[in-house]
Amino acid sequence: MDISFSEQDLQFQEEIRAGLNGSEYPLHVREKQQKGVALSKQDMIDFHKFIHSKGWMGYNWPEEYGGTGWSPVQIYLFLNELALAQCPTILPFGLSMVGPVIYTFGNQEQKDRFLPDILEFNTWWCQGYSEPGSGSDLASLKTKAVLEGDHYIVNGSKTWTTLAQNADWIFCLVRTETTQKKQEGISFLLIDMNTPGIEVKPIITIDGDHEVNSVFFTDVKVPADQLIGEEGKGWTYAKFLLAHERFGIAGVPVVKVQLEKLKNITSDYDDANLSKKIAELEIDLEALEFTELRTLAAIAEGGHPGAESSILKIRGTEIQQRLTELFVEAAGQYILPYEGPDGFESNKTPAGPDYASPSVAQYLNYRKTSIYGGSNEIQKNIIAKAILGV
Amino acid sequence: MNLNYSDEQNMLREQVLKFCETNYDFIDREKILDSDSGYNEENWKQFAELGWLAVPFKEDNGGFNFGPIELTVLFEEFGKALVVEPYLSSVVMSGTILEASNIPEKSEIIEKIISGEHQVSVAYAEPNVGYNFLDCNTTLSKDADGFSLNGSKSLVLNGGNANKFIVLATHDNAPALALVEADVEGLSIQSFKTLDGQTCGELTFENVSVSSESILALGDEAKLLFNKMLDVSILCISAEAVGAMTSSYMKTVQYTKEREQFSQPISNFQVLQHRMVDMFIETELTKSLMIKATLQLDSDDPEASKTISALKVQVGKAGRLVGQHAVQLHGGMGVSNEMSIGHYLKRFTAIDSMFGNTQHHINKYQS
Repeated sequence: MDISFSEQDLQFQEEIRAGLNGSEYPLHVREKQQKGVALSKQDMIDFHKFIHSKGWMGYNWPEEYGGTGWSPVQIYLFLNELALAQCPTILPFGLSMVGPVIYTFGNQEQKDRFLPDILEFNTWWCQGYSEPGSGSDLASLKTKAVLEGDHYIVNGSKTWTTLAQNADWIFCLVRTETTQKKQEGISFLLIDMNTPGIEVKPIITIDGDHEVNSVFFTDVKVPADQLIGEEGKGWTYAKFLLAHERFGIAGVPVVKVQLEKLKNITSDYDDANLSKKIAELEIDLEALEFTELRTLAAIAEGGHPGAESSILKIRGTEIQQRLTELFVEAAGQYILPYEGPDGFESNKTPAGPDYASPSVAQYLNYRKTSIYGGSNEIQKNIIAKAILGV
Repeated sequence: MNLNYSDEQNMLREQVLKFCETNYDFIDREKILDSDSGYNEENWKQFAELGWLAVPFKEDNGGFNFGPIELTVLFEEFGKALVVEPYLSSVVMSGTILEASNIPEKSEIIEKIISGEHQVSVAYAEPNVGYNFLDCNTTLSKDADGFSLNGSKSLVLNGGNANKFIVLATHDNAPALALVEADVEGLSIQSFKTLDGQTCGELTFENVSVSSESILALGDEAKLLFNKMLDVSILCISAEAVGAMTSSYMKTVQYTKEREQFSQPISNFQVLQHRMVDMFIETELTKSLMIKATLQLDSDDPEASKTISALKVQVGKAGRLVGQHAVQLHGGMGVSNEMSIGHYLKRFTAIDSMFGNTQHHINKYQS
């Protein structure tokens, strides 16, 4: 066993760090990130275009599809550096979700049509999975697609669709057949958000943010060549996609940076109890980080992360949530004034530390993390079934 | 020993419950939150007509001379419906201090509070002193004509609407409580929305004149009075938290019975049942400490302040658990602002932060 990274890995790390601190980096994005201010659509586009300009967009893709072909260790180091440089998260919808599904299960024409735009961030994708009646029990979904000639006619609705208001395309799980086994009638369909019959309605979350949406489909005509793979195989592709999504879900690097920030903030608070809680969190984070590294090492040797990655999701989100609680605790009563994730009007600022309002936003917003991506209860069911065999 | 509410107290509870059922559904409340003032004037008038604004005041000032028990009854019901009207600031906080004072204006001000005509807020917090409210930097100094106030106060509940303020300041290295008009020269006010849909204000005093008739208390008397106000206020928001916890677990039980996944109501799953049982247990334990503190305050028990700290700690811990579990069990619906459940979590978060958070009261309990 050897705990250290290789010379080449460290050199790689240096290159990434230098690139992220270079003059091409969009400074307005970094400024907002440091202040904890919400990013606009254009900010996100600027950031992704920068990542593309460095040739890093396909960080988790094989070279044959225009990706970097990086090793799992390199991917790990890259994501670490992004967090250290206080970058936004690279949007997963195109790059980590639909992209790998297209290059793994799509036909050549689909690969040529969609993959380059994902890498160049010319298209913003969103995910059409959850429905009002299908959350944890995703396979019970009801949005229907009926083949008529060379088009599917789609009717139904999707919910909790992250950033659908910005999206150009949506990838959807739709029901093409009513089968005995509910997983068998599901297909994977790519839909242009500009198609007539699609309506996006905002859902405002408890932090006051507009991040998620309901998406309604009324007789939406989708060309049949936008079906991925085979009809009725959508569930297989969806499961493949979920496995891909797991990578980095623990959010370790981001938590590390936030934790350092909290330690700096509270260093002169002379609050032994808060310091103790921060230390306990840091210890839990160490255990989680090394668990992630073990997973990584297994992948590097050609293994496939199984249900173990559910540990990363569960403990990762628990730590993320606890961290937001500690920020709120540190801010004390000054969390009271709160007018939304964008902060306050520029001509008025309430008393108290400037991290107070972003801490409230983060605390409320992060309640979602134990709910999304398969709730933590579902993750525990997965471990119970797949690992413990009970 | 008798731990039953009286018929009169039960009637009061019924009355508040009915009011909230008729006037305070989620949509009514949303409209109030979206308004500039952050409360509903019609509701406030009704509070006055129903006599609620008179609850804690002495009879010779037009009040009902009710004590902590009646206040907790009111607040428990307010908590269930997440009532945002400024009852805590204007009636409880200001009322406690005004009742104990001897200023000439006293009965006139109390009458106006009871009639709903005026609202008064206590300016107790400051930017840099955290929960050590009495160590404040705002000064009340003597000058030729009387006194003058300088400094700034923050987190003043209902600060944008209040007609008068009771200001905690330092005078001769000791605490002082002074009454000032909201429109007095030298006072500027900025109002903010709070995370739980209420409002608070930031006040800046620049050479604000205060006549000696407006000094409510000085020195040890001010300290005693201020601490008593904190105790009563903590009791009230704790009762409110008990009400909010009760609603949270009941709504969660209801939701899990209705929500079907995997072809069955999710309330069938034992892991969720146990979570809801935990929510229920925490609510009951909080209620116990709330009643204990109520009765101790009611009988001027010297142990009351310590029980109040214990209660505040329990409210902080239980509120977090109940609020977070309620959101989690509602799934995505729990984080939607269109559902009431997330608003309970926000109120628990605000309540924990006010008048000393959980850790502050653990320390106070130990000392």
